[in-house]
Amino acid sequence: MDIFSDLIMGLSIAITPINLLYLLIGAAIGMIVGVIPGFGPSAGLAILLPMTFGMDPIGAIMMLAAIYYGAMYGGTITSILLNTPGESATVASTFDGFPLAKNGRAGPALVMQAVASFVGGTVGVILITLLAPMFAQVSRSFGPPEYFLLALMGMLTLIVMIGENWRLGIVSALIGFALGTVGVDLETGQGRYTFGSAELIGGIYFIPIAIGLFGLGELFYAFYQGLHRTGTGGIVNYDNEERFWPTRLDWMSTRMTMARQSVLGFVVGVIPGAGATIASLMAYSTERSLSKNPENFGKGEMAGLVAPETANNAASSGAMIPLLTLGIPGSASTAVLLAAFLLWGLRPGPLFMEQNPELAWGLIASMYLGNMALLAISIFAIPLFVQIIKVPYRILGPTVVVVCALGTFSVNASFVELYIMFAAGIAGFFMRLYGFSAAALVLALVLGPLAEEALRQTLAISRGSFAIFVERPASLWIIAVTVVLVVCLPLLNRFGAKAQAARKSGV
Amino acid sequence: MTKHIKAVDWLPQATMGALAACSISLAAPAMAQEVYPSADETLDWTIAFGPGGGNDIMARTIIDILTKYELYPGDISAENRAGGSGAVGWGYLYGQDGDPYGISTTSGSFVTTPLQADTPWQPEDFTPVALLATDDLVLVVNGDSEIQNIEQFIEMAKANPMNIGGTGTVNVDFIVPTLFAQAAGFEFDYVSFNSMADQTTALLSGALDSMVGNPGEILGLIESGELRPLVYSGQSTPAALGDVPTMGEVGYDIGVSMPRGLILPPNAPEAAQQWWIGTMEKVVETPEWAEYIASNTLTPTVIYGEEFRDFLVRTKNNFEQVLKSVGAID
Amino acid sequence: MRLTFLLVVLAGAIFYTYIAFVDLSFMTRSGRLGPGFFPRIVGVIAVIFIAWSVFDAMRDRSARGLGGTGSNWSDVFVLISLAIGYAVLLRLFGGFIATVLYLAIALSILNRGRHVQNGILALTIPGGVYLLFDKLLNANMPPAVFDLPF
Repeated sequence: MDIFSDLIMGLSIAITPINLLYLLIGAAIGMIVGVIPGFGPSAGLAILLPMTFGMDPIGAIMMLAAIYYGAMYGGTITSILLNTPGESATVASTFDGFPLAKNGRAGPALVMQAVASFVGGTVGVILITLLAPMFAQVSRSFGPPEYFLLALMGMLTLIVMIGENWRLGIVSALIGFALGTVGVDLETGQGRYTFGSAELIGGIYFIPIAIGLFGLGELFYAFYQGLHRTGTGGIVNYDNEERFWPTRLDWMSTRMTMARQSVLGFVVGVIPGAGATIASLMAYSTERSLSKNPENFGKGEMAGLVAPETANNAASSGAMIPLLTLGIPGSASTAVLLAAFLLWGLRPGPLFMEQNPELAWGLIASMYLGNMALLAISIFAIPLFVQIIKVPYRILGPTVVVVCALGTFSVNASFVELYIMFAAGIAGFFMRLYGFSAAALVLALVLGPLAEEALRQTLAISRGSFAIFVERPASLWIIAVTVVLVVCLPLLNRFGAKAQAARKSGV
Repeated sequence: MTKHIKAVDWLPQATMGALAACSISLAAPAMAQEVYPSADETLDWTIAFGPGGGNDIMARTIIDILTKYELYPGDISAENRAGGSGAVGWGYLYGQDGDPYGISTTSGSFVTTPLQADTPWQPEDFTPVALLATDDLVLVVNGDSEIQNIEQFIEMAKANPMNIGGTGTVNVDFIVPTLFAQAAGFEFDYVSFNSMADQTTALLSGALDSMVGNPGEILGLIESGELRPLVYSGQSTPAALGDVPTMGEVGYDIGVSMPRGLILPPNAPEAAQQWWIGTMEKVVETPEWAEYIASNTLTPTVIYGEEFRDFLVRTKNNFEQVLKSVGAID
Repeated sequence: MRLTFLLVVLAGAIFYTYIAFVDLSFMTRSGRLGPGFFPRIVGVIAVIFIAWSVFDAMRDRSARGLGGTGSNWSDVFVLISLAIGYAVLLRLFGGFIATVLYLAIALSILNRGRHVQNGILALTIPGGVYLLFDKLLNANMPPAVFDLPF
């Protein structure tokens, strides 16, 4: 087997003491960078990149890659404990992660997210090892028409997020779309709602809005409920040490979720530009429509946490495919990795793996080791993180404000984004209070610009004809998958539920 | 070294008494004209973008060269003053009016940001030191396209308008094909993308006919034959692109590039400007600089002083004219 | 309160839609979808839905009491004011000093009476964050407009 000899060669490179040290440092930094709200992998990588200039390229790239996928492990911790997503790909993890913690299951939730991350990440690397050339074909068949359809498919997940008050849910999504139109119009270069401000040229960035709405909004709401007066307990309960480990039911009920979502997450990750955020959201909504008890989603269902977590880690592995096989970065973080490759005089492209087998396979092998290291770090760190819950809320509250503020600022060194974060926090409190959906707003903010740009690019290319959507094989595939997801799955589910009900009533 | 030893000796004689001590720092820029740069002054280097970006890397490369060859006698303090696509950092430098110890590097946003937002400064306000390199673009088609060279491309585009992808509209990616098409006499549909990655994916998927982009990021794809380069917009084609002609060589020179240069605050002393011009003449001769140019696939276009200011004005006017004609700005 | 919030959102949506119709064109000169295409659609639908919600809120205003107790409202406003104050402090004094000041004030209000604990926290948290951001990660911290002498 060719692949095996390549992989063993890669391992022999990755496993030298100095490279292992770099890998561990990278994994640890990734965890830390992921935990700090706002400070996602792309910001962390960009800031730490200059430090690696003096290093040997193989060790440096292993370290940078570990920061990148390590951040996916760390990002969920604050999603679960504080309802504050560390970065965009972990927004979906707040939907059920935080309710789980509220129900006193923070320990099991943290363990399950680490395991889900490990499974997603490792399945992703296995798929890279075995099928990289095949997936390279997938990543090169996506153009604007496919991105538009993909964004539409993502918007179907909005229906899931909209919540009980559907009218306010739609309003929330529309506010998200509206915020997404701020900035210089991509096609004409005309400013939209920028009012001459240089800070708004690039549009409203997703991170300050998400941190404000979720993190600060939840904090203000907790104070509104008077949780800071209830003695030492925080908003989340943590009963006793025995409940640290997941139950048998947790494992059994999420086996299939992990299997399904690692593949789905990987495939979405392979598509350049779609990335971990869309993968995690799609994972959440497909899992909900497949679930036997969809009504529990959003109230602390383990599968609702495991699905996005598996998918975002698998997607971060998947995003290495276009980088390694085409030299195209699929996300902001892999764009920084590409910049690093170029700085070292490497030339990522279709010939990259042939020309630099040591580097490519060393990197792939290091991802197996890195995921194992991260699982171990996570499990060891969980008891530490759980201590956060024991801090009285009246002390935790101001500290969360500090971390959210400085984390937001650190990304782009922008005071405007800092103010946007605070404003979103205050708005988030009222939205929470009056039944709006922060999740729908954030999702619309991500998907709206993607859909608008892709539609306008598509129509520019086709000179106004919509036929382009059915002329390309990749587009037809997406349409088919969407139909299956929207029409067939819920139908199957309903039949399944009926059959089950019939069986029960029969007994 | 002798120069600033003199300066240190001379200053205390000129200033008497303890009270006057605090005025030394205020008076120093004016006096330093004769002994610029003084080893006692820290050079305040503004990087108008965050760490890890193109502007940051260029600034830190120059600083490393200055330090390694001991070209600058004092301390250099590099600060990332990011925000507003460069508006914050260059706004800071603009505020250092007349100060010979403020300095910054420029990139494409130096020309485009003032066109899009109400910045108090314009590119020509600053004291120009040197244009060191330019970011230029290569026009590519898909590797399985029937178009083999630029002549064929122009011919086909004249018969049947094609689309050309690029990154953004208020950007050299839009200006270069527009001016080229005007010169060569064909029409095209411009399709604007968010990033080089997006447009490359679109071209590989067969949705686009062609695109322009910085060669550095797509060299791998060019080398493997997935993309075919047709023409280069710079003054000389980088070695990595082989025998691809420049736009000038095919007879349609457009003279627009993104300037990577060095600037001082507005109204900086003549002596400071001259000192930096002399110093940069040495910097661009170093092997480290050559390596920087090669690994970032830049075109080494070096011009100094007022010629650089003329270049900035010309580039800005070209941009303004093209963008106004399509209604992007008013 | 609910009605006030909805009215604020409605005002924002009307302003957004107004700009979309006045400043942004529906189609470009070359006949493509223009910069105003999407904003106009989004704006109009948003105004309709928010107005509908406002209408509903006005109708059942009498039926619905204010949620929560008065004392909690005041706590939320204290926390929000503190957060806004923090934003101002960050701009003026930079990351480290502003965080010390903010924590000292916020903790003295929320964690009343425990002066020693508050004092220690107000120094150690900013110190830890400073070490992590500035020294370990080399990340951006808000710079100060007024530099303190140290």
